[in-house]
Amino acid sequence: MAEQELDTGGFDFSEVEKRLGVTRRTFLKYCAGVAASLGLSTSSAVAMAKAIAAKPQMRPPVIWLHGQECTGPTESLLRSEQPSLEHLLLDMISLDYHQTLDTGAGHKVEELKKKSMKENHGKYLLVVEGAIPVKDDGVYCKIAGETMLHITKEAAEGAAAIVAFGSCASWGGVQSASPNPTGAKGTQAVLPGKPVVNIPGCPPNPANFLGTVLYFVTFGKLPPLDQQNRPKWAYGRLIHENCYRRPHFDAGRFATEFGDEGHKLGYCLYKLGCKGPETYNNCPSLEFNNVGGGVWPIGVGHPCFGCSEEGIGFNKPMFALANVETHTPPNSFPTIEDRQQDTGISPTAAALGGAAAGAAIGASLMAAKKVGNTPESDSGSDG
Amino acid sequence: MTRLIVGPFNRVEGDLEVKLDIKDDQVEAAWVSSSLYRGFEQILEGKTPGDALVFAPRICGICSISQSVAASSALRNAMGLEQAPNGLLATNLLSATENLADHLTHFYLFFMPDFARDTYGDQPWGEAAQKRFKAMQGEASSYFLPARKNLLQLIGILAGKWPHTLAIQPGGTTKTLDQGDRVRVISVLSEIRRFLEEKVFGDKLEAILELSSFGELFSWADNQPMEQGDFRFFLKIAQSLALEEVGKTSCDAMSYGTYDGLFPQGVWRGEVGKLDPQLIAEDLTHSMMIGDTRHPSQGETFPDLDKADAYTLCKAPRLDGKVVEVGAYARQLIAGQPLIINLAHKSGSNVLSRVVGRLIEAARLVTIMEEWVDGFKIKEPFCSHGKMPDEVEAVGMTEAARGSLGHWLHVREGRIENYQIVSPTTWNFSPRDSSGISGPLESALVGVPVIADEKNPVVVQHIVRSFDPCMVCTVH
Repeated sequence: MAEQELDTGGFDFSEVEKRLGVTRRTFLKYCAGVAASLGLSTSSAVAMAKAIAAKPQMRPPVIWLHGQECTGPTESLLRSEQPSLEHLLLDMISLDYHQTLDTGAGHKVEELKKKSMKENHGKYLLVVEGAIPVKDDGVYCKIAGETMLHITKEAAEGAAAIVAFGSCASWGGVQSASPNPTGAKGTQAVLPGKPVVNIPGCPPNPANFLGTVLYFVTFGKLPPLDQQNRPKWAYGRLIHENCYRRPHFDAGRFATEFGDEGHKLGYCLYKLGCKGPETYNNCPSLEFNNVGGGVWPIGVGHPCFGCSEEGIGFNKPMFALANVETHTPPNSFPTIEDRQQDTGISPTAAALGGAAAGAAIGASLMAAKKVGNTPESDSGSDG
Repeated sequence: MTRLIVGPFNRVEGDLEVKLDIKDDQVEAAWVSSSLYRGFEQILEGKTPGDALVFAPRICGICSISQSVAASSALRNAMGLEQAPNGLLATNLLSATENLADHLTHFYLFFMPDFARDTYGDQPWGEAAQKRFKAMQGEASSYFLPARKNLLQLIGILAGKWPHTLAIQPGGTTKTLDQGDRVRVISVLSEIRRFLEEKVFGDKLEAILELSSFGELFSWADNQPMEQGDFRFFLKIAQSLALEEVGKTSCDAMSYGTYDGLFPQGVWRGEVGKLDPQLIAEDLTHSMMIGDTRHPSQGETFPDLDKADAYTLCKAPRLDGKVVEVGAYARQLIAGQPLIINLAHKSGSNVLSRVVGRLIEAARLVTIMEEWVDGFKIKEPFCSHGKMPDEVEAVGMTEAARGSLGHWLHVREGRIENYQIVSPTTWNFSPRDSSGISGPLESALVGVPVIADEKNPVVVQHIVRSFDPCMVCTVH
């Protein structure tokens, strides 16, 4: 990113500087970064920065429910980076109910939840973490004597938008694996007809959640979604297409055992069962735990098992080979000249992929071309 | 007599309710109930053995590494494999980091906020506690959360993501550290030490680890103002509320042992004795589970929510028919930590000793971790390899932050025939068994003074949280 500051038309950020404890410059840089990863323009970054600065009237109340889960998504959220994402989040929204983090305890908090839902009917953002068991009328997950199934339906009634955070809430996740003993389902499956945004991942990347909330706070609507209702900016590309080990795949160089020569040299993990070729997520570009330097599953040398992808994660055995959706054998590489004249990629599609541009190999561009052509592009979505 | 239902509990992992019978302003009987079931054991049946590494960590988003360690060690034992020495070091570092993160998260986010309640507003320390520990608003969370990030960065470097990694394998780790990674680990560790010394203890870790008796502990607390370190702050509160008399249990304490024997395996019955894992059995009398009392290797997990006389989904594990308590206190007791042994002799297991057990262990872990980092031979392998027999039985036993964790595995025709998991909170929050004997939490609550119109007795909160419950592990 260029070290150029955004033109904010003289907007006063001093109050937000105080609130978040960051400088104006860091704050704007952060907003620009989020906007870029969402595939949005700089003017959108300014809009976001202003939306955050203009609280409290913009703060949507949030009801956060926990179903069958391990609290992994909340845990991953609590480890976010600077300017402290958890501060930013708590600043942007009014978290009226969250089971793991609340001060109070017991039925009192449950009453507060109901009160907030009534007062903010039609205005609140509902976040669901965890799956919803439906077998035997949902008895396998109860909170304060009520089933998660009932609680979810009740809370969905007056929600302005619903976000399913994590694979469990998106499509059932780990407990929905065969034989699915409790009939675990995702949020959308128990709320037919209600639009639910899915942020799958086990755990999901907190930035994908925050980016979506930030978009919602800024523009008052949800970002563009794919067929599985996942934000396109985050789940638009296969891991395989953005993976730093991809050149080894194309060249036929594979690791076959953890710690073997190929593994030490960073070869492709396909033969160890990597599901990157059939999993849509932005892990290669966002990484995990905010350390940098290649910290994400494939980066530490084990295969992706498709935790965010319905039908892959918890479904295919860990070491089973992936179905390679975008296979580009080396003999079909386009020549450099062809690439110059006929990429067929719109700037938007390229921005969507982002990191692919870094891999100066025709194959990546071929792959980008496929993606650019199949789903419609996102131009004009930042409005 | 009145019946009071406390719960659902916020600031715990998962769902928990406690029923209390109250007579003459004190608890006469307690029933602990866990109400979430997902069916991990049923799901694992029929999967390939290696898939235990995918499923088991997802039992819990806060003890995920411990679940990985237990699963990988069950697989390793099934294969008759030795870990590559580097892999052992990396795995130990990962478990220790998670333990440390869990202990500090418990202290700062789950346990201390209860002292910031209005109930304590009149105490001389009441206002200061609110300023410092109020949930999500107190000063402490503003310096603890960045420190927690450091810990999770360390896990990131070694395991790629947290929670839920696949980097821990039966033969070691998939991550091979290079010189650069090692430097990163060392620098994060030094940040962690600094946080513990400046904020948690307000003193050198070595000075803390030299305290060897109840008397020394409290005179150390008295030699500085209470604001000097959050541990000191807690000790002052503990003193004013006499927390060493609150939430007492009189059962034995157990540790499966971890870190290659550095924290050894054993049972505490006033002194350390040998543990025979064959004597472990799960009693299902009052659990909403079908079946009879069995050793976990023969265990079954099939819920029946309509079962008569059953009030929780939690099973009741017993050691040779007896109740045992697990956790950092038990672990440090069996590992011979002088201060904890002194506390045990003085007042046994209680709210104070459980919390002190955790923080002393935290100080100990950091000093041990610093030594481990020096042990890597980065040119040598991090992972060894073996073959899974078609037919085998094995067990993986480790210590999670909250106590003893065991995975019992049976492989048949190359697939998982049976997989049974017994988690720390299953021991601590177990229901009554066939002889009507309560688990540790239920018995710790008996006799607790509760004022009749108090809807949500804060002392019950302290006792429940002193065990650092992890309900998602308890029933899985």
